[in-house]
Amino acid sequence: MIWQWIRFPLLFLVAVVMQTTVSKWIRIFDIGPDFIIIFIVLIALRRGPVVGALWGFFAGFALDVYAPVEWLGAHTISMVVLGFFVGQLEERFLTLNLGMKIGVLGLGFFVCDIVYYIAVGFDRGVVFNLLLTQTLPESLYTMICGGVAFKFLFAGNLKNKHV
Amino acid sequence: MFRITRLLKTIASIGHGLAVFVFLLLLAVFIRQADLMIKNSIVTSALSTIFFPAQYIIASIDDYYGKSSENEKLKRENAELRVELYRAKEGLKELSRLHELVRFEDTWDYPIVTARVVGRNPGRFLTTFVINRGKHHGLKEEMPVFSMRGLVGKISKVEWKHATVQLLVDPNLKLSVMEKRTRAVGILEFVNGRNLSAMIPTNAGVKMGDTLITSGLGGIYPKGIEVGVVNDIHKSDLEVMRNMEVLPFQEFSLLEEVFVMQKEPDWIVREMLK
Repeated sequence: MIWQWIRFPLLFLVAVVMQTTVSKWIRIFDIGPDFIIIFIVLIALRRGPVVGALWGFFAGFALDVYAPVEWLGAHTISMVVLGFFVGQLEERFLTLNLGMKIGVLGLGFFVCDIVYYIAVGFDRGVVFNLLLTQTLPESLYTMICGGVAFKFLFAGNLKNKHV
Repeated sequence: MFRITRLLKTIASIGHGLAVFVFLLLLAVFIRQADLMIKNSIVTSALSTIFFPAQYIIASIDDYYGKSSENEKLKRENAELRVELYRAKEGLKELSRLHELVRFEDTWDYPIVTARVVGRNPGRFLTTFVINRGKHHGLKEEMPVFSMRGLVGKISKVEWKHATVQLLVDPNLKLSVMEKRTRAVGILEFVNGRNLSAMIPTNAGVKMGDTLITSGLGGIYPKGIEVGVVNDIHKSDLEVMRNMEVLPFQEFSLLEEVFVMQKEPDWIVREMLK
């Protein structure tokens, strides 16, 4: 019972720790994976849109706190959107294989970044440039890391289970 | 309590979580659109309350990793510096030895070839060692080998790029020596597997502490190379001779560099060796 309550906060803490430490160590050409997005996608797929959006809000806010104060709220908006929309593919109602989960992660990463760039208020040209140079390689890297996480951490499928 | 939970669940299930989503989105937009002062206040209170423990853990991990990698780097640097220091010290020692060698070389009429000791015989008793000079460098058998302190031995076998040196402490090596003060001449050899011993006439008056040099007789070693000092004197089987224990001026096992005098044996020795 207690485990059910603490496992997601614990997982979130692990994701934040990994994002601020491991992600820094494994960067290639200044491109690193985003463990927070992996966490949100995992949660949303497991627990649906409500929990996804809630954790998206909390995680996004946590990122915003450490981002420039003028942009406060941008991560929160993008992560809420990510959590809610990925949550529509909740595992209780849908069966997603590993490839599809990774695909959802990649797509979610793109959507999240687009929403973030819009929320921050970047120009269209800058957004396009960032999508190509930043979002695309980072989403690929995140998909690789996310694939490993999906494979080993959340191998089970929750279809027909009441959690 | 149950009613509140049920109410929240009902709200959450509206439109498959749409209500919660809209609420959170509006809240996020409100934060985004808030005044800079409010934003600052939100960030400050968040950092000082809920994010502090997480921040502490993250900082500790990052700090640990940073220190660990820095420690690793310092260890590597330390090892490199130790090697450099060792090389510098060795270089200074070698320089000092080479200075002495140069001074030594100037005192002889024959060309000198410097050589490094590259191998020793693996047995318990050191009787020979190998140097890194050979025929290619003009070395021949029976050439005398010296160190800065005195006589070492002679070349016993020579190859193209290396040679074997027969040391004074080889029982098969005998040489003619002279006591420096009295000019008495005797024969030096290695006896009992332990000591260098010289047979010198009793009436010469050689005492303990006198120095022995090469006599120049025998045709191999030039005259005047220091060999050792008389450490003890014993009676011999012959009344007219004294057995003198000789302490060489150097420890053969510690030799690193030697030099070979390019002096060929006198013709009579060459004839005898044929």
